[in-house]
Amino acid sequence: MSQSWLAQAIARASAVNDWLQPQRKESLALLATQEWPGRRTEAWRYTSLHAFDKLALTSASGDVKQHDAPAVAGLNSLDIVLVDGELQTAIEALQLPNGVRVSSFSNADAQAQEVAHAVFAKVKPAKHLFGLLNDTLAQQGIIIDIAAGAEVQQPIRIVNYVTAGVESHNRILVRLGAGAKAAIIEHGANLSGSDAAAFNTAFAEYLIGDKAQLEHYRLALHGGKVIHIGGSHFQLHNEARLNSTLVGYGSQISRIDADIHHAGEHAFAKFNNIYLLAPSEHFDLHSSIEHAVPNGTTEQNARGIVGDKAVAVFNGRIHIHRYAQKTLAELNNRNLLLTRGARVNTKPELEIYADDVQCAHGATVAEINEEALYYLRSRGLSASQAKVMLSFGFIQELITQMPNHSLADWLLPILHERFVAMEAE
Amino acid sequence: MLSIKNLHANVEDQNILKGLNLEVGPGEVHAIMGPNGAGKSTLGYVLSGRDGYEATAGNIDFSGTNLLDLEVEERAQAGLFLAFQYPVEIPGVSNMEFMKESVNVIRKARGEEPLSAAEFLKKAKAAAKQVNLPLDFLKRGVNEGFSGGEKKRNEIMQMILLEPKLCILDESDSGLDVDALQVVANGVNSQRDGKRSFIIITHYQRLLDYIKPDFVHILADGKVAKSGGPELAKEVEKTGYAWLEKAGEKAE
Repeated sequence: MSQSWLAQAIARASAVNDWLQPQRKESLALLATQEWPGRRTEAWRYTSLHAFDKLALTSASGDVKQHDAPAVAGLNSLDIVLVDGELQTAIEALQLPNGVRVSSFSNADAQAQEVAHAVFAKVKPAKHLFGLLNDTLAQQGIIIDIAAGAEVQQPIRIVNYVTAGVESHNRILVRLGAGAKAAIIEHGANLSGSDAAAFNTAFAEYLIGDKAQLEHYRLALHGGKVIHIGGSHFQLHNEARLNSTLVGYGSQISRIDADIHHAGEHAFAKFNNIYLLAPSEHFDLHSSIEHAVPNGTTEQNARGIVGDKAVAVFNGRIHIHRYAQKTLAELNNRNLLLTRGARVNTKPELEIYADDVQCAHGATVAEINEEALYYLRSRGLSASQAKVMLSFGFIQELITQMPNHSLADWLLPILHERFVAMEAE
Repeated sequence: MLSIKNLHANVEDQNILKGLNLEVGPGEVHAIMGPNGAGKSTLGYVLSGRDGYEATAGNIDFSGTNLLDLEVEERAQAGLFLAFQYPVEIPGVSNMEFMKESVNVIRKARGEEPLSAAEFLKKAKAAAKQVNLPLDFLKRGVNEGFSGGEKKRNEIMQMILLEPKLCILDESDSGLDVDALQVVANGVNSQRDGKRSFIIITHYQRLLDYIKPDFVHILADGKVAKSGGPELAKEVEKTGYAWLEKAGEKAE
């Protein structure tokens, strides 16, 4: 049983001591009451954590090589790079746009600490076991403070590289002041060579103020033996807008929890999820949308392509509280299984306690549209060429909806190459 | 170019074409007219090889090969093109990447070198301009959110890019206003080069004011009931198709 792994992690966490100590202590206390998730733990029913039984990892050695963020033509982002949880970018030397403050846990001044205290473990629900672990173990983190009214054009990108044999924990804390506008990209990937296990948790919390607008991307492009467990969590205040796209590969275990909490009225959230699983990979997305107040809108579209012997898990919950009248919520999950050996466990969950809402959900395991197949073939494409085009089109549709076209143009050929390789196997 | 002899075809076990004969020579334009249910669209689908449209008797020779032996894509590669009456929407697949791949597959079948991205883009832009589609339509999903008229023009744009030997237009005029009709007709006329052949399937005579056919055939009950020159289309405009029923009654 991996309860011992947890006990050992708690022992390590108890030694962490810094200015976040008050919050860390609370999470540590909660963590001590947690059971290690097994098959009967609902949130982990389809994702086994047996790999932790024989996990032998070190923490970062401190002498990791310098790595650049992936070059994306036209993106012109403000880049912050971490390798195995250690900061590679000199935060102090960054040329920051007006209204933006970026700090790390290690250089946080009083103002940054104030932001961190307002966000840390305040947006992310306490129910996530690995989120609590991250609370206690993430020694490094990025704090981003966008001033009220600041309209930041330059996207901010945080790249987390994972290397083989290492355990690491990353944290991102973001506060957007009232009326602020920003785009933030969380990019996770492993450096070449994913045959050896690595374990990374990466949790991000976003407090989005009144009328603020966040454009958000989470790219979880790990693969191989990496165990990646993370979350992106959002709290939306009055008339806030969130447009978020999550793109995930599978890996030995890849698990992401996303929470969108409508705390203020007339907020709008668009949340697109794309997963592309190579043979034998595992990917698990649990999303939870909380409509706690009236007049909120959520549109969530999740689409996945699942390769041979790969397993996708999608659990999409929408919770409309009793007073959250006039909520509009839509959740749709579509899956394309490439072979009979591919598996998906999909479960949309609606809990509606208000009576004047519009809510729709659906989950399908799709097949190729025969009429579209005929149409493409009637223009000369072979059946297999047409199938690749249609299958990939299935996720391409969501990629092309990304507001940042440079990022979409960079991502598409990478995903296409991965998809074509999957088909060839 | 195309020789159809005694074609019988079923759709879902229902006999629709009942001994159809048609000869189309190089460079000729044939109009196929007829009332609803005569089998006009079925003919287009049988020629293109759609699943569920099964030839049960007769044969179709296309430039020396037995068309019925070929897969859908092989027919396209051999130079047959069907402009659909209701083109399907394919979100996620861009018009541009779809056409680029198609053009190069068909060029390969003709023994030609593939077009580079730049060469293709130049041709695609010219074709879009010719059918009056804004350039951003190239980037959009195939037919995604296009109006009826835009879909028809997109079909003609594909026809221009693919340079087929035989173009079959299945009611490319339906639902079009006069301006759009003219764009479609100009697109077709620009492709008439004395070698390329056309089969124009239409319910109304209207399109034939803009595309002058060499021959007009009236299809009724799965067969060619009457063939003639352009004047036959005018006759249909005046008298409708009611005379067909009378002719049928007489025959029975």
